[in-house]
Amino acid sequence: MSLYMYLLVAAIIFTIGAYGVMTQRNGIKILMCIELLLNASNLNLVAFSSFSGNATGQVFTLFSIAIAAAEAGIGFAILVALFRVRDTINLDNINILRW
Amino acid sequence: MFSDYAALIVLLPVLAFVLTLFFGKKFPSGGAALPIAAIAGSFIISFGIFLEIYPHGTVQQSMQWFSTLNFGILIDPLAVVMLMMVSFVSLLIHIYAVGYMSHDTGKPRYFAETSLFTAAMLAVVLSDNILQFFMAWEVVGLCSYLLIGFWFHKPTAAAAAKKAFLVTRVGDVLFLAGIVLLYVNMTNILANTGFSLEPGNFMLQFKSMFAAIPYIAPTQLTIITLLFFGGAVGKSGQFPLHGWLPDAMEGPTTVSALIHAATMVTAGVYLVARTFPMFVEAPNALLVVAYVGGFTALFAATMGLVMNDIKRVLAYSTVSQLGYMMLALGTAGMVLGAKAVGISMFHLLSHAFFKALLFLCAGSVIHAVGTNDLREMGGLFGKMKITATTMFIAALALGGFGIPGLHIGTAGFFSKDAIIEGAYEYGHVTGDMIPYVFSIIAALLTSIYIFRLWFMAFSGKPRQDRHAHESPKVMTIPLIILALFALFFGFSQAGFYGYLETNFELMGVEIGVHEGEALHPSTLILWLPIIVGVLGLVISYLIYNRRILDMSRIVTRRNPVYQILLNRYYEPRLSSYVIGEKLTHGVVAMSGEFFDRKIIDGLVIDNIISRTLLSLGDVIKKLQTGVVRNYASVTLLGVGLLIILLRIGGM
Repeated sequence: MSLYMYLLVAAIIFTIGAYGVMTQRNGIKILMCIELLLNASNLNLVAFSSFSGNATGQVFTLFSIAIAAAEAGIGFAILVALFRVRDTINLDNINILRW
Repeated sequence: MFSDYAALIVLLPVLAFVLTLFFGKKFPSGGAALPIAAIAGSFIISFGIFLEIYPHGTVQQSMQWFSTLNFGILIDPLAVVMLMMVSFVSLLIHIYAVGYMSHDTGKPRYFAETSLFTAAMLAVVLSDNILQFFMAWEVVGLCSYLLIGFWFHKPTAAAAAKKAFLVTRVGDVLFLAGIVLLYVNMTNILANTGFSLEPGNFMLQFKSMFAAIPYIAPTQLTIITLLFFGGAVGKSGQFPLHGWLPDAMEGPTTVSALIHAATMVTAGVYLVARTFPMFVEAPNALLVVAYVGGFTALFAATMGLVMNDIKRVLAYSTVSQLGYMMLALGTAGMVLGAKAVGISMFHLLSHAFFKALLFLCAGSVIHAVGTNDLREMGGLFGKMKITATTMFIAALALGGFGIPGLHIGTAGFFSKDAIIEGAYEYGHVTGDMIPYVFSIIAALLTSIYIFRLWFMAFSGKPRQDRHAHESPKVMTIPLIILALFALFFGFSQAGFYGYLETNFELMGVEIGVHEGEALHPSTLILWLPIIVGVLGLVISYLIYNRRILDMSRIVTRRNPVYQILLNRYYEPRLSSYVIGEKLTHGVVAMSGEFFDRKIIDGLVIDNIISRTLLSLGDVIKKLQTGVVRNYASVTLLGVGLLIILLRIGGM
């Protein structure tokens, strides 16, 4: 398989994620879409790394995955806390910080 | 033929884990059949490999992971006996758990987790490099955490799981530091000395490590081995990191039998045995191993004397017996060389059989009477004949009963006497009798507490009118099989030692095996362990069965010794109150809060910079619509523009 196939898959995943982030209102769905964005870029890194024979990209991806895990953990914790206070995770209703 | 499928030993239980976790509810009894079949497969492959490589073969497979590291399988005599024990005991306990967990709603989760645990434990055993060993070691720790907290709705269970995780983590960090230090040393000597890896060998493989020993500076080697031993102390519940193991009894009894008696806690001993050539070259580290082990053996046994929870008695007994194994590695390692590994591993295996049996019997009793408290049991012998008999056999094995002259005895007799004789030999050669004295006193206490447990549970009059009944066949048959092993495993001693002695020669390491003149000690030394064992049995019989000695005046809240033992030397209070509340919360967290609140906030807020920014912010804040999707769209738009600009700019 050529490098372009990997990049194409990554691009498709990225687009789906971007679309989701822009259109969804549910906090959990948005977080999931952000994970898609991250994983699309991880896929790119791994693909490039594998095709160029340089392990740096893979190591970088490991870091990225670890940080994504932390991010998801914090994100969901915030959503749980939010749900307890506001009884909703529809982000359109969460706007008291607006001015 | 079996050797080609060595990887399946680990992969089968992993597969069972995935299937049980996702589809367990759809199968009868929570999908128990899947892990049982998978682990039976692991056992068959392990046994097949044993038959193939016996007496002088190894299985080695390895593939590159990245740069100088690898994934691989190493099955040598040390690993293959351990593989057979782990898969066999795990298999029996899984079968037993079908009966024991039959009323629990979380069965799929239980069987999935124990299956993952078995896979990880087998992966620890057959790792051919220290890094893979460490990774599997961590997965084992995770499973231990999950299974201790299996009934997570009980606050004590959740707290015990957390404690186990945090305390073993202290050891794991030391272990990891040891691996890093070893890696640094290996890199150094590869660059600066004549040492080079053989083609096809990788940096952190055990055989490369052993080959590098002569090139590593002795002080460095001592530090590395001590750090490794730190990991072993955490995992095997040695002093001072022993506190988590008795608390871990909050999990289901089958978990205690599998993880906290037979397999996981012995991983620490296995680690020291695995890297034994390094320890032998670092006598100071070996001395630490001997003393920590000997002290733990005695220390834990004293607490086992007074516990009223049937499982806690057994937990302290486990800690104590693990201390014996460490003691064997340390003392016998110093004077007998490679033979120490055989002595220690033999006790590890026989302990796995009789301690798993003790726990499963305790589980059977708990299943029948519905309480852990020994004071509420009693008189169960008539109602639970099989459990009582098998538990008595296990108690005999733990007490090390046998006849030295005739070479007849239980498994524990052969294995424990060899350790005590090893300690005596060490004392004889070096003049340092302290480990030997520790081991003899601990043997006396062992015999007292285990028969105290047995008499309190099974003899006398029932102290509560519960309708206790014998457990179903699915539970008693594993008990009987384990009891046979506890009785007869000891007779494989000679063959076992011979088999393991060659272990490190197969790896290309020469460790002197000294026969030692004093290994044929005087009759008194030979008989002393069994004498103290019988003495313990008699003492327990007089106090707890015949009630000739009145203990009520000694066992009171006013007796300071009893108080200290019952409070477990105040270790739980030390770890939760002093370390947890005072040190972590009081000192570290509070000083962090002070820095944040007073210094950072104090400097930035309430001055001219902040006020200018605030008024500027009043203007710009109108941009904030409060709708997250707008922000996301603008961000993406911005990134898109940036990319287009970069293209135009010719990047």
